[in-house]
Amino acid sequence: MAEVLQANLRQDLGTARSRQLRRGGRIPAILYGHGEQNVCLSVPADQLAAALRHGSKLVQLQGDVVDSALIKEVQWDVFGAEVLHLDLTRVSASERVEVTVGIELRGAAPGVQAGGQLLHAAHEVRIRCKAASIPERIEFKINDLQLGQTLTLADLRLPDEVELMDDPAAILVQCVTPQAELEEGLPAGGEVSEPEVIGRKAEQEDEG
Amino acid sequence: MALMPKRVKHRKSQRGRISGNATRGNKVVFGDYGLQALQGGWIKAQTIEAGRIAAQQYVRGEGRLYVRVFPHKSITSTPLETRMGKGKGEPEHWVATVRPGTVLYELGGVTEQQARVCFARLAHKMPIRVRFVRRRLA
Repeated sequence: MAEVLQANLRQDLGTARSRQLRRGGRIPAILYGHGEQNVCLSVPADQLAAALRHGSKLVQLQGDVVDSALIKEVQWDVFGAEVLHLDLTRVSASERVEVTVGIELRGAAPGVQAGGQLLHAAHEVRIRCKAASIPERIEFKINDLQLGQTLTLADLRLPDEVELMDDPAAILVQCVTPQAELEEGLPAGGEVSEPEVIGRKAEQEDEG
Repeated sequence: MALMPKRVKHRKSQRGRISGNATRGNKVVFGDYGLQALQGGWIKAQTIEAGRIAAQQYVRGEGRLYVRVFPHKSITSTPLETRMGKGKGEPEHWVATVRPGTVLYELGGVTEQQARVCFARLAHKMPIRVRFVRRRLA
């Protein structure tokens, strides 16, 4: 189900106004697509945080603008703590769109119980499907994953009408034997060796 | 042996300045959880190694630890009781230059609770303030 965002039109643009908005608990956003005019909006930070937490891609805009939109891009601050800006693109429910969704591993792998290490290589996957039927996440059961076994994106069980856009041969998850821990320490005598200097030997030979 | 480059173009480097926040290397990419620097600074190769050992002892065999920083910068020092002059000292140790926001370590294949305990042990080794972060949902 699409999350609802209360969108307000944004008349005052610019960095200072955007910062003011964020201080007031709203996030600046832009809505574009379908050959229509771009609209500058602001949406409540708490509603947006909930939508992102749930992994929603499709949102229903209400308030000054009533439309259904796809979350195209989310700009975060450098610490990944706060959303700075949101890009929304207009979509109709029947339109086929390409989106990235997260993959969630479910269950316990017998390979891990046998002393193996689980390596989750692909955390997300690109899919194409109808906007109305975008899954929040794709669950993948690893109850049959044995030690030394590798599963690829082709092994994903996608819902009906969902098409995989990534390489099906890409590794999704593996169960490997843990690497022996590297026993590292300073060499005896406390003498630290130095790295090789590129070009030094050639220079010295020329001088000699 | 502590981490250091295999080959370098120059043995010694200038001190430099750490300005601004990390604009890359600031997301959890390989694992599920990470330890993010909240301050900038130099982290010695020995400190990175100490953190790795502290975490590895906890997750032994279960999870996978990723070290996201590498000590590329050599730090020189002049011996004690040396007279002024005679040029720059000899390289003494290697450090990683860390900007606020840099993800230092990542952990995968463990529960969040285990990752929190593991990173709490690791955080004690760090000379800067750090925080626990999760992988961002797609």
